[in-house]
Amino acid sequence: MTPSPTPSPTTPRADALLRLEGISKTFGGVKALNNVSLELQAGRVYHLLGENGSGKSTLIKIIAGAQPPDAGQIIVRGQSYNQLGALEAIRAGIETVYQDLSLFPNLSVAENVALTTQLDLNGGQLARMLDWGKVKRIAIKALERVGLPTHAGFLAAPVETLPIAVRQLVAIARGIAARASLVIMDEPTAALTQREVENLLLIISSLREEGVSVLFVSHKLEEVFRIGGSVIVLRDGVKVLDGALSDYDETKISFVMTGKQLDQTTYRTGQPQSEVLLEVSNLARGTAFADVSFALHRGEVLGITGLLDSGRNELALALSGVHPATSGEVRLEGSAVQIRNPRDAISLGLGYVPEDRLTEGLFLTKPIRENTVVTVIDTLLKGIQLNFAAMTAKAVGFVKDLQIATPSVDLPVSSLSGGNQQRVMVARWLATKPKVLMLHGPTAGVDVGSKDALYKLVQRLAEGGMGVIIVSDDLPELLMNTDRILVMKKGRIAKEFTTADLEKDLLTQTLLSEDSSAQQ
Amino acid sequence: MKALWGRVSARPEFITLGLIVLLVLGVSLLEPRFFSPQNLVATIRTTTRLGIFALGVLLVLAAGGIDVSFTAIGVFALYTTTTLTLMFFPTAPFALMLIVSMTLGALMGLLNGFMVWRFAVPSLIVTIGTQYLFTGFLKTFVGTKHIMDIPAAMDSSGTASLLQFSTADGVRVTLPLLFLVLVVTAVLTHLLLTRTLMGRAVFAVGGSSAIAGRLGFSVRTVQLFVFGTAGLIAGLGGMVHGSLNRLANPSDLVGTELDVIAAVVLGGARVSGGSGTVIGALLGVVLVVLINNSLILIGVPSTWQKVVIGGVILVASGVFSKRSGA
Repeated sequence: MTPSPTPSPTTPRADALLRLEGISKTFGGVKALNNVSLELQAGRVYHLLGENGSGKSTLIKIIAGAQPPDAGQIIVRGQSYNQLGALEAIRAGIETVYQDLSLFPNLSVAENVALTTQLDLNGGQLARMLDWGKVKRIAIKALERVGLPTHAGFLAAPVETLPIAVRQLVAIARGIAARASLVIMDEPTAALTQREVENLLLIISSLREEGVSVLFVSHKLEEVFRIGGSVIVLRDGVKVLDGALSDYDETKISFVMTGKQLDQTTYRTGQPQSEVLLEVSNLARGTAFADVSFALHRGEVLGITGLLDSGRNELALALSGVHPATSGEVRLEGSAVQIRNPRDAISLGLGYVPEDRLTEGLFLTKPIRENTVVTVIDTLLKGIQLNFAAMTAKAVGFVKDLQIATPSVDLPVSSLSGGNQQRVMVARWLATKPKVLMLHGPTAGVDVGSKDALYKLVQRLAEGGMGVIIVSDDLPELLMNTDRILVMKKGRIAKEFTTADLEKDLLTQTLLSEDSSAQQ
Repeated sequence: MKALWGRVSARPEFITLGLIVLLVLGVSLLEPRFFSPQNLVATIRTTTRLGIFALGVLLVLAAGGIDVSFTAIGVFALYTTTTLTLMFFPTAPFALMLIVSMTLGALMGLLNGFMVWRFAVPSLIVTIGTQYLFTGFLKTFVGTKHIMDIPAAMDSSGTASLLQFSTADGVRVTLPLLFLVLVVTAVLTHLLLTRTLMGRAVFAVGGSSAIAGRLGFSVRTVQLFVFGTAGLIAGLGGMVHGSLNRLANPSDLVGTELDVIAAVVLGGARVSGGSGTVIGALLGVVLVVLINNSLILIGVPSTWQKVVIGGVILVASGVFSKRSGA
């Protein structure tokens, strides 16, 4: 099975609402978008799909004028741009509902909804009087459409006082308040309840009837198929599919999105031992997750997956002590333990490699040596001074062992590629000789070669008796490396799979399905 | 109770007003002279001087910045304008002197705004630097001597009265005409912040400059405008200050910026930006001025005034952070 061939660069059509030609964008050596061309027609719904890190968000930011492309052309109704400014995009009728919502926390609901339309009407000129009556009228109209209240108290409420689902609806209201010709919605349903989602789907179809195009991003394929329209799939920054949604089904789309099943390689080499290493019972934290129980055996590799809002991240953070669990029990090697903070986790032998190594872990401007030994710095003292010789020896040992490509441990971590940075992160935790190693999204933004090296390392560690937990939304990664996979949904473990006899399609469907049929 | 708290938290000026009322009640019980016309007018005089500066500070805070150079700008504009007037046009009308002073202030403010925007340096650092720069430049190139013999128009404007009367014990009390400058500036600033697109853009940038930029607001324009206008207001404030004191002193004002910033924060503007009202800032100034005045009246040593103001700031910031904390 191969993805259907990418249509050759589209032939220019006069009535195209928006055309992208050969858009490329590179971040720190990584190609986020590679020569992407596409064409959007008026009054249609397009679904932009792809895994995390496939380039969707970058593409959206380029269309919305929040980021310039490195190369390529953006053509809006025949008008060609090398890059769009934010105001130009809005003036060209492109409204964006960002994934982070991009609301002003301190401003009122009415202003958040209608201020940008006023800015647009005045051509970006700020030296204008503001017509509050008009602002309120526009806001009320848009809020009614998304089903929010329109009384004065709500209009005047600062957005920071609202719950997240209401903020999401306010962001959508802003997107449809202006008379846009294209509304981009980046994962607008993640925070919404089923009823609110239904309403959003109605809004989308009425927008389509009014001749407004919608570019919709969602990980929930069920929604995507209910809305219908066209589909554009990105994978590793390249457009791999562009066609009518009716020609595909969920399985095929998932396949095109990941495209990795052709790699039949499995990395899993060892066998779990019988001894239970870590036992988690009824673990819970606020509204994030509850009732989580599982066991990890010595030498076992356990996968945990789920969508962004499933509680998987919060579970990982709880086990690492960053945001501790509020109730439940954790037993390590048979005895009950308390994980109240990261220090507890480290001293118990629970290593945690965080998801975002740039903000949660590495000291980018500091040398590789310091970054590697920071977790065990208290063992590398000479009196009260740091023992640099011992630090260097330890760091050099890891550089060799994990094949970190650097001429010297004196160089800052920022000089390394993503894959090598990740290895420094892993080395730091291996230095603590953990009993359990938790890897959170270990290969996000990491190239294929480094993935391979990391997977082999994981297997080696497991064979040495360590228990490894991989928290990831990269399904092939879990299938190739684990013994068992737990799927989390709405803060609970919805399903447990034994990896050996698991089909990827089944896992994808379980992950993406909205209904509860797959849960029991 | 909850509804009341909701209303108060939406309008933090109420807290400031409440503190003022408490203070007035408490002090007037201890010292009946508190309600004397002299004391009232003295309060208004000080409020006029601090209040004008507070409006500029409010603008910058609302846009998410902080400006500690406004006192240096004020004194630079005052002293330079006075010197130039005496040199070239001793009979210049006061309005012309105000225009020169405000222009000088605006230019210095624009320099602040340009540096903040161009080099993306925190405005606190930029304005600490320019405070030294402006003060040093003034004393090196313009002069260091006090000017007691100020231009005639400046003198007469400073002493001109809006309201004059004699009290029962024969003391003549004068409410200065320049109080109107504060009133007019406050009304204009209020209209600017609440009724113009620029005013709302100031709050938008103060809420998040990254989001404002993404949504098409020109962050550069807003920053240049905010710092330029704050400079202009500082130039105005400097001139009014000099006229009321009938003195142009190059060592004046600098060092008092925290009093003004504290007053604005006491009026409900968050140091983190994106909030604040003109009425709140003015109430904050009144509160600070009243604390100073009344403590003197009831015989508290002046060193204690700082302790009280510090305590009030800490308590108020605790209340305000509870308001914003979610």
